[in-house]
Amino acid sequence: MPVRFVALAAAVALTGCAAIPHDATQQAGVMQGVWAIFITAAAVVYALVAGLIVWAAIAYRRRDPATVQGAGFSQNVPLELAWTVIPLIVVGGLFAVTYPAERHVESVVTPPAETVQVTGFRWSWRFTYPRAHVTVEGTSDKPPELVLPVGRTTEIRLASSDVIHAFWVPAFLFKRDAIPGIVNVYDYTPLREGVYPGRCAEYCGTYHAHMSFTVRVVSPEEFARWLRDHGTAA
Amino acid sequence: MTAVTAPPRELAKSGIVAWLVTTDHKRIGILYMLTSLGFFLIAGFLADVIRLQLAAPQQNIVGPAAYNQVFTLHGTAMIFLFVAPFGFGLANYLIPLQIGAPEMAFPRLNAYSFWLFLLGGLTVFAGVVTQGGAASAGWTAFAPLSDVRVSAGVGQDLWILGLTMTSISGIMTAINFLVTPIVFRAPGMSMWRIPIFTWEMIATALLIMMAFPPLTTAFAMLLLDRHTGARFFDPGSGGDPVLYQHIFWFFGHPEVYVMILPFFGVITEVVAVFSRKPVFGYTGLVLAAFAIAGLSMGVWAHHMFTTGAVANPFFAGMSFLIAVPTGIKFFNWIATMWKGAISFETPMLFAIGFMLNFLIGGITGVMLASPPIDYHAEDSYFLIAHFHYTLGGGSMFAIFAALYFWFPKIWGAKLDERLGRIHFALMFLGFNLAFLPMFFLGVMGMPRRVYTYPAQAGWGLLNLSSSIGAALITIGTAVLVWNVIVSLRKKEPLPDDPWGGGYSLEWATSCPPPEFNFRALPPIRSKRPAFDLHHPEYAKDSQK
Repeated sequence: MPVRFVALAAAVALTGCAAIPHDATQQAGVMQGVWAIFITAAAVVYALVAGLIVWAAIAYRRRDPATVQGAGFSQNVPLELAWTVIPLIVVGGLFAVTYPAERHVESVVTPPAETVQVTGFRWSWRFTYPRAHVTVEGTSDKPPELVLPVGRTTEIRLASSDVIHAFWVPAFLFKRDAIPGIVNVYDYTPLREGVYPGRCAEYCGTYHAHMSFTVRVVSPEEFARWLRDHGTAA
Repeated sequence: MTAVTAPPRELAKSGIVAWLVTTDHKRIGILYMLTSLGFFLIAGFLADVIRLQLAAPQQNIVGPAAYNQVFTLHGTAMIFLFVAPFGFGLANYLIPLQIGAPEMAFPRLNAYSFWLFLLGGLTVFAGVVTQGGAASAGWTAFAPLSDVRVSAGVGQDLWILGLTMTSISGIMTAINFLVTPIVFRAPGMSMWRIPIFTWEMIATALLIMMAFPPLTTAFAMLLLDRHTGARFFDPGSGGDPVLYQHIFWFFGHPEVYVMILPFFGVITEVVAVFSRKPVFGYTGLVLAAFAIAGLSMGVWAHHMFTTGAVANPFFAGMSFLIAVPTGIKFFNWIATMWKGAISFETPMLFAIGFMLNFLIGGITGVMLASPPIDYHAEDSYFLIAHFHYTLGGGSMFAIFAALYFWFPKIWGAKLDERLGRIHFALMFLGFNLAFLPMFFLGVMGMPRRVYTYPAQAGWGLLNLSSSIGAALITIGTAVLVWNVIVSLRKKEPLPDDPWGGGYSLEWATSCPPPEFNFRALPPIRSKRPAFDLHHPEYAKDSQK
């Protein structure tokens, strides 16, 4: 029986991992590791506890309808201590996985190779590359494109000019809130060239559903060319 | 201890007037439960509108403006007007019965809190008929989205005022839940003998007293911002939108436990009665309830990991810890079933459904408590799936368990068992069909609170499954309503303990109980006074 549970847990864990986007950034790779550990732990715990519930329900079903009482016990202190202490150790382990990963994802490289100011507004985004004087602004009908160089660290400086939005690139496994009055700073280090959809994740009013954008990760050479073509001179 | 004052005399004994002026805790409990079930039907209908709109990509059955009102009212009604108030209704009905008291400690305050709750709920929904429609800033009403410059309509004001009323009503009802079991217990009913449900309500009452005043504060600040230019949350004038989130979630996370602790109590009672066993680990269950309540006061900012404005590791660690006392509850329920003689009447089916569903909600809650996971899952359909597994698959299933379990006590008639099983099957299948796909939708990148999604996103099939699940839940609810109508007609005399194995005092009085609850109280010598009375041959097991 336990073998079957572990096999089931592993199957669920694998399905779960397959559903998670591949690591498109260096930070996403770290977070994907956390996802994998948590999904595996979740599947094992679910199989174990749900298995016990179903097992108890089947094994101890009432055979004699006239039964007034099953067994009469109502406590077992060593057992109760065990199911307090063991979960405490498990969540301690989960914290040990969480903490360094979060530190890594939150760390910001100075100075960054590139900086982009991202500003959310109802209902689109504005991307400003301050050094190259390039600004891209979208509308809810024409989503803007954020162009990033592959293999280099880009600092995102996230802000909002009206209500709270959230800048979410699912393939990067990351979102951050764009809050009026605050500039949120974090890094992307894209590892694969490609086009990734992104959308607003914090409900911001009528056309929240249309507040999308795309991220295009290109080679450094193409990135430099793109900046030249879109500079203020052009 | 005995009652120090006589309960107020009823102004009328029967008819509509009797219900309007009643201070009887049983009638107030029934009014609370019926009202909350009424709001459940409305909120469920709104969920069907949501699922119809999202059944396929790029539909326009309801436009964005209407959709945003629909999900705002759906969430508001389910949380503030259904799940928590049903628990209040059940507690109003049961606490005096379970501790052997004739009434609540403050019957008039009790009546006032019900009518204020009803008025508050109606005020929220009154927004529907105003110009600009009902509130549409979500059940969280984050600033500055809920500010008057963005949400100008009077619907938002009615929403704030209505929920302020329900918040004040909740504080008053909590005073009753706390004071009554402390001062009104029957002779012999020591604190360590009161049933787990009543213990859970004491923990809930403490949470309400700590969490609801901040909610009232947050709403007062919103109103001042909207109408007097107070600018608490306006960054242009030195205010801070993050401050609103701190105050709101300082209420909002304890509120989660206000919506689950009563139902942990329900499950404990139901599992013990149908397993024909004493409750396992009584002391552990009580301590776990208070551990959950205590910890839940220090985890609010796990709703704010993506703001970049809070100490994420602290709140992650505190949130992980809640898994420990919650786990204790699960292990105690399993141990209560262990070596029992389990029968599977509808309340027990819903209790097992609760355990299997809530387990998923709890485990995914631990995942969300880890910031590196939350950065992807927050505000996605993963989050929607998670909290529906706790509040829908959890609390709602426990509400149905409670409904079937105490229905004969309240109305003197059992609900039909065959219809009950059909109801359960439709609910369990429909619920999982509706909400399991949402975990995958969230991971794939579908954000919450969107009225539509593009076809090329590839979310159509999973959303369709979700909508079919919603249809099954709706049919299941119709079966329940039909069951209630049919069963109320065939009143037959029931014994005091119609399930057999009932152990708390409400099973030692008639169905329904008389005015002031007991004609005579049985001796209370253990945690199982009703069981000892009906089965003296097993009374020795009650003493362990």
